[in-house]
Amino acid sequence: MSITSTEFETIMGDKTKEIRDDLVWQPDEDHSDCVEFTAEIHSDAGWPVYARGTYNPAAPALTYVLIHRGAGRIYGLDLGKDHHNPDCENVGECHKHTWDEAVRDKRAYRPDDITADVRDPVEVWRQFCKEARLRHSGSLQKPPPVQRRLLS
Amino acid sequence: MSNDPCAALAAALPAMFECTPHTDGVRIRTAFMYPDGDYLDLYFIRDQEPPVVSDLGETVRWLRSQTLSPRRSPKQNQLIQDICLTHSVEFYAGRLQARVKDASQLAAAVLRVSQAALRVSDLWFTFRNRSIQSVADEVEDFLNDRGISYRRGERFVGRSGKTWPVDFHVRTSELTSLTCVLSTGSRSAARPIVNQAVATWYDLSHLRIGPEKLQFVSLFDDTSDVWAEEDYALVRDLSHTAFWSSRDRFADLLHGVPIPS
Repeated sequence: MSITSTEFETIMGDKTKEIRDDLVWQPDEDHSDCVEFTAEIHSDAGWPVYARGTYNPAAPALTYVLIHRGAGRIYGLDLGKDHHNPDCENVGECHKHTWDEAVRDKRAYRPDDITADVRDPVEVWRQFCKEARLRHSGSLQKPPPVQRRLLS
Repeated sequence: MSNDPCAALAAALPAMFECTPHTDGVRIRTAFMYPDGDYLDLYFIRDQEPPVVSDLGETVRWLRSQTLSPRRSPKQNQLIQDICLTHSVEFYAGRLQARVKDASQLAAAVLRVSQAALRVSDLWFTFRNRSIQSVADEVEDFLNDRGISYRRGERFVGRSGKTWPVDFHVRTSELTSLTCVLSTGSRSAARPIVNQAVATWYDLSHLRIGPEKLQFVSLFDDTSDVWAEEDYALVRDLSHTAFWSSRDRFADLLHGVPIPS
């Protein structure tokens, strides 16, 4: 199941989108250095959309995404790795994926509204929510300190 | 080991592989991309002996950023192990990596880890609806492993005239079953899913009559703690209930062996 560009714009423009819970970074299933959270997004329209955050302090790299239950990722912010658009433009290490019917989520742009550093996931989250018109009533905890891993 | 891994790389690989300093060594920007166009970065970590080329867990993190599923399926883990075997790459604590005992091995290690990372990220294409690697996919694998005949995603017409999708139409030598898989990671979504199953079983109840009657099974994915006792009670009068954590009992049920209460 996919969504149209119009439906995407409607979802993004819906100011009733809200996350009501406090969010806590959890270890991933591999117990790697990466931590993550998933949150249900409530809205008057009942969009089947969830927010997910993943953070890898070792790289460092940070990602916040909106995932539509039917269509998959429809919106996402990446910090810490470059992106290549279908028209061969390299966007940069801070880029936002947006939805388009033709290329799905493969096109990204360089956002002006994300100014926080990749090592400050809480502030990046605040800026991400603002642009996505997503109200977070709770709080997002800081990621736990990194324990240095022995690789071999 | 050479003190300048970037020089070793430049001698063996095209300039499209860029080296930049990193906390524990160097970051290598490869020419390769994940399925969404994000570039694959690898890291040469030299603060240990022998040094390693690693993705620092970025490939699996990328994969996990595309899905709501809290974990990979057994089949996906099996594929990752197979990919690692092919490319002589280690999968440890979420990282794809290879040891580099000599500078002459660095470029080859970068290519091996790169190729493994690309293949692992391509598991994204196997997600049935891209957002959820569903338990239903695991059920399908389970039925295949047990050699149980099934049709997936068939639709049946109810007494009301409405058409209802059913996850699995399963046939064993003993009896034939319709199975709905109830799975979600959200407590607020749990009740609507149960209500959908109740409506399905109620409207299809005419199929439970006669010598070739069908057995209805509500299979709960209880690996997530989202279900209430009320949810089980709602479907219990209309169907058998089974639990994915007790899949052997689910198989017994398909063969007509009753589940002890």
